[in-house]
Amino acid sequence: MSGFQQVRVIAARELRERGRSRAFLISLVLMVVVVVAVIVVPALLKSKTSMDVGLTGTAPAGLATAIDAQGQGADDATVRVRRYDTLASGEAAVRRGAVDVLVIGTARLEWRREADPRLQAVVTAAIQLVTVRERAAAAGLDPDTLARVLAPVQVENVELGQVAGRSRGDETAALAMTIVLLMVISTYGGMVLTGVVEEKSSRVVEVLLARIPARRLLAGKITGIGLLGLGQVAATAVAALVASAVVRSVELPAVRGAVLAWVVVWFVLGFALYATAFGALGSLASRTEDAQGVAGPVTIVLIASYFASFTAIGSPRSGWAQGVSYLPITAPMAMPNRVAMGATAWWEPVVAVAVTLATVVGLVRLAGRVYVGAILRTGPTLKLRDVWRATSRAATATPSGVASTGNGGRASVLRAGVGIRRREAVAIVVAVVLAVVVGAITRDVVIGVAVGALLVAAARAGLRHGHR
Amino acid sequence: MLEFEGATKRFGAVAALQGCTFTAAPGRLTGFLGPNGAGKTTAMRSIFGLVALDDGSVRWQGDAITPAARNRFGYMPEERGLYPRMRVRDQLIYLAVLSGRSRPGAGRRVDDWLERFGLTARAKDRLDTLSHGNQQRVQLIAALVNDPELLVLDEPFSGLDPLAMANMSDVLAERAAHGAAVLFSSHQLDLVEDLCEDVVIVDRGKVVLCGDLARLRAGIRQRFVEVRYAGAAPPLTAVPGASVVERREGLVRLRLADDCDIAEVAALAQSSGRLVSFRYEPPTLSQLFRQAVGS
Repeated sequence: MSGFQQVRVIAARELRERGRSRAFLISLVLMVVVVVAVIVVPALLKSKTSMDVGLTGTAPAGLATAIDAQGQGADDATVRVRRYDTLASGEAAVRRGAVDVLVIGTARLEWRREADPRLQAVVTAAIQLVTVRERAAAAGLDPDTLARVLAPVQVENVELGQVAGRSRGDETAALAMTIVLLMVISTYGGMVLTGVVEEKSSRVVEVLLARIPARRLLAGKITGIGLLGLGQVAATAVAALVASAVVRSVELPAVRGAVLAWVVVWFVLGFALYATAFGALGSLASRTEDAQGVAGPVTIVLIASYFASFTAIGSPRSGWAQGVSYLPITAPMAMPNRVAMGATAWWEPVVAVAVTLATVVGLVRLAGRVYVGAILRTGPTLKLRDVWRATSRAATATPSGVASTGNGGRASVLRAGVGIRRREAVAIVVAVVLAVVVGAITRDVVIGVAVGALLVAAARAGLRHGHR
Repeated sequence: MLEFEGATKRFGAVAALQGCTFTAAPGRLTGFLGPNGAGKTTAMRSIFGLVALDDGSVRWQGDAITPAARNRFGYMPEERGLYPRMRVRDQLIYLAVLSGRSRPGAGRRVDDWLERFGLTARAKDRLDTLSHGNQQRVQLIAALVNDPELLVLDEPFSGLDPLAMANMSDVLAERAAHGAAVLFSSHQLDLVEDLCEDVVIVDRGKVVLCGDLARLRAGIRQRFVEVRYAGAAPPLTAVPGASVVERREGLVRLRLADDCDIAEVAALAQSSGRLVSFRYEPPTLSQLFRQAVGS
């Protein structure tokens, strides 16, 4: 059975077992209900579609018709006009809510509580119109001239936004996507974490690892749970689209297809990155109670990078936004924001995807090593450093898992030493190239140098540790 | 043939395996013995790549063990465990498919095993709703579900009641009769003596004795005599080269040196009282074990 098939079998089990668990089904239904409610409830609350106006006193002849005519302009409400013979009966009608406002002559509007600005605008506009017409007639203007004079001036509202061609809708969409990504990573990443701990605490992991390598077990688990998360997001999105098509209460921002495609790509990468970290750390804990404590650092990084990328929406072209959209831990949330805001050249997300993908591959290898070192050691929660040391000793002594004997073994240790020196050189070159790229993009020498120094230091420290 | 050659593994300051060399042959049951902490579990884990050896090798049919080869192995770890909330049949099929079996084939095989252990009615139940004994049976099926050519079991008899032990013995013997190499660890020496053709005894990471059990016993020049009698005790202590191992009312056990004359012992045994039984035998496994481990 090939590695790919095994990963598929493991992913299928995760999907099947979790997909039919009651907890998942409840959370799925709850999510759909909440989203549909958020869309439908405001529409129901807004369903008061008629506004009643009471007239009393000496109102000009055309006032009722004018109010009617102005009311036509309000798209989702109709205005009805009623006459009251006395002030007292009119006020009584306002007090019991039969009318929303009482118009006394052209001088005063009486409300039950504070004025409703929309209705106020309709009524005052009508009063203005009628009064102006009366005055014009008195001044001897002919009705045609008056109509031309009073012809409304159309003033257009345009939202300029951050970037030409992108509106608030794009900003809202970017924001919503970042939040969804954060939620999915923390929820389903948490599932990977507890899944790994459960396999360790129930000891089933030894039965599994006797059949398949740890990397595939972890990869299959992450794939299965990720697909489940993607499925829930898709189900919720479809529910939201259907609900808003039926109710038409909120306007969903029109998201471009290309942006949506990038969002899916970053969803996959972001989930893979964080879920791998969660999975590796999960292997350190032996009991489910310890799982959250072990994963604390990743959760903090996740939330910090959410805020870091969140600030990138406001000014997607700033050096800060560019920096966080290339840094692998923040890129999954920051880069789609910048793409949605139209603030990227075509190659920018491609480069960021390559950098993040490389990080994911590296992390999977590291995670596999931590996982193998930790998963069969039960008892108190392990320390990452101890596991790392234990596995690195094994790794230098047996480069290929099953060591050769005698001289062969010594030779391979020597080869491993040479390999590390070469790897160190490659790592430093990669770090310098990345630093130059970051510097060029942010047009900021200080940031470039700082990133470069950090990467070189990290690469060297990592390899030294591995060597020892 | 499973071959360990100079297998060495250290965990920090602890040497778990120190150059272990032994084999487990197809069609035979090999008992893997040793005191706690002797390195049995480490050796078994190294077959499945769960422990990376520092030096030496483990081979199957002459080659280093690949993940593909492990598809034809069955393993029952000392720490039992399966998915507690997964249904029994689904779980076993899943494990068989992970070992490269087709889904329909795995289904049929799982159903056969469930039937044989009387678990057909529980096939659709969650594992954690089963009794302890039944969970043990499912664990054994998990090791057998891919019809392994090499079956490795770490303490398969621990925690079993006598009936379950007999069942386990039958299954292991049957697998060996079907041509599988069966390697299992145990502390129940009587049971191993009855069941196994071969034994491997390890102590503090080193193999102290290994090979065909009958030949090992025969190879030791020492012989033991057990005399049961009624009435007065025979004067057996008078035999030169014989030392008393055990003595109580109606029974005397002697260890005989190489040059000891058995006829003389027999004559003395009959000289007084009434002889009930006279056994002249090579050392038992339990005696071999105690000698080898040196306690």
